[in-house]
Amino acid sequence: MKRERAAATVSRAKGLAAEIRWLLGISLCAILLFPERSAPAEVSQGAQIAATCASCHDPTGGGLAIPPIAALDERAIVKAMLAFRASESPSHVMHAVALSLSDDELAATARYLADRAKAGRQP
Amino acid sequence: MTDWTRRQIGALAGGALLAVAAPHTVRGQGRAKVVVIGGGIGGATVARYLGDMKSIDVTLIEPNSTHVTCFFSSHYLAGLRSLASLTFGLETLAEGHDITIIRDSAVAIDPAGRAVELRGGTKLSYDRLVVAPGIAFKFGEIEGYDEDAAKIMPHAWIAGPQSELLRRQLESMDDGGVFVIAAPPNPFRCPPAPYERASLVAYYFKQFKPKSKILILDAKDQFSGQELFQDAWSRHYPGIIEWLPSQFTGAIKAVNVAARSVVTEGETFRAAVANIIPAQKASLIGEKAGLTDASGWCPVDPVTFESTLQPGIHVVGDSIIGGDMPKSAFSANSQAKACAFGIAASLTGSPQFPPHLFNSCYTFLAPDDAFTNALTFAPEGGRIKTVKMFISKVGESAEVRRRTALHAVGWYSAFTADVFGGGP
Repeated sequence: MKRERAAATVSRAKGLAAEIRWLLGISLCAILLFPERSAPAEVSQGAQIAATCASCHDPTGGGLAIPPIAALDERAIVKAMLAFRASESPSHVMHAVALSLSDDELAATARYLADRAKAGRQP
Repeated sequence: MTDWTRRQIGALAGGALLAVAAPHTVRGQGRAKVVVIGGGIGGATVARYLGDMKSIDVTLIEPNSTHVTCFFSSHYLAGLRSLASLTFGLETLAEGHDITIIRDSAVAIDPAGRAVELRGGTKLSYDRLVVAPGIAFKFGEIEGYDEDAAKIMPHAWIAGPQSELLRRQLESMDDGGVFVIAAPPNPFRCPPAPYERASLVAYYFKQFKPKSKILILDAKDQFSGQELFQDAWSRHYPGIIEWLPSQFTGAIKAVNVAARSVVTEGETFRAAVANIIPAQKASLIGEKAGLTDASGWCPVDPVTFESTLQPGIHVVGDSIIGGDMPKSAFSANSQAKACAFGIAASLTGSPQFPPHLFNSCYTFLAPDDAFTNALTFAPEGGRIKTVKMFISKVGESAEVRRRTALHAVGWYSAFTADVFGGGP
């Protein structure tokens, strides 16, 4: 009986997690579709958080072992960060970073990095 | 001198008060001025990020033309990297990031008059001052260990000539000698570093002086990453590294430089080479400017890194009371960015967002075996507190550790480019 109850709890938790993931996806899409672009680029929320990325990711896009992020588009960054948020593997550094960002912050950062890439500038 | 005169007149007219009360008036007088004292990791990062905004006039005060990174300096001690590969010129900051660099030392700070006096006699006015002076040593705490003794028993805890001295001593040491490392009490610069140093020097000994031993005399009873280190020492260097906690020895009390010996509460240890890492405090300029409290370190606001003792002066890096943040290069870099955006908000009215504070340290156990941690922090109740912490685990595969070592090398390259705006 105990095992059945535990299985039911896990099943409910998995269902809830799937709903959360779905809602997260919807909210991120909304943020990406209707971006707010008020702050000057150098001090925007995205720039302030992206400054953190530059502590590890080579700004020229080269990068030894640590993957470059300079040329990624907005959706690729969001997708990768959601995967990092979900799992400690393969990088607990990126897991920690992804967990620390709200959906709004993640969207702002991805937008800033992608805009910089499009403009041909370093992050 | 012109700036000083103008600032004095401004202060007399109440201009300094206006600058504090209404930041936008500063912009009305031309670009706001930020002076940064110290071209290490924290100071260079603040200067670089403020300079890149173009809206602020940034002057960096640093007596040395180059900076040698403390991180990876144990690779140099073990013969795995050259010192040149750890040395960065500040000229890239000046050329590429709109920063004026003055090769001089700050000797006095006048917080009320918002001015800094340099050894060469120049006086600089500022709207905001950033002090990133790094660490100083409490030389009085180990009997017989002072600046002169450090020329024979190096601390090598500020990379550069001290690292070269220790490397020379390790190279000339006879096989079979004992290398003593005196590990300091908390808090100190880079908590895992004494043990990383022991690991990499053990790697060197294993190849070139296999009969030699390493003895760590610790002022503490436990240390950062202890389980990971002790696991690695038994795997890579069995019988080479011995760690003695304070509870066994009573910790190091004195050194006898002439006899090359280190004295604990109950025993004297003869050292072929002695690396004495003393207890630490904020560097002298912080003390002189009234930025330190009774602990010897600088209390700061955890969002803007403005001193809680001297308004208008910000402090970043190893010299602050960082709450849960360790004294590391990564922490200094992370604090410096939050500080730069906080200063910009205050001087130019740019938006300010909650800071994201991080620390991630790569630590080597052997050249192809490294571990890492990742911590996130947030301000809470006036101090910096850990939000999440992840660390490598004992028992990870050799492949995971090898990949972490590769990441560490990649991180070094990216991180130093972020701080100094270019390579060595």
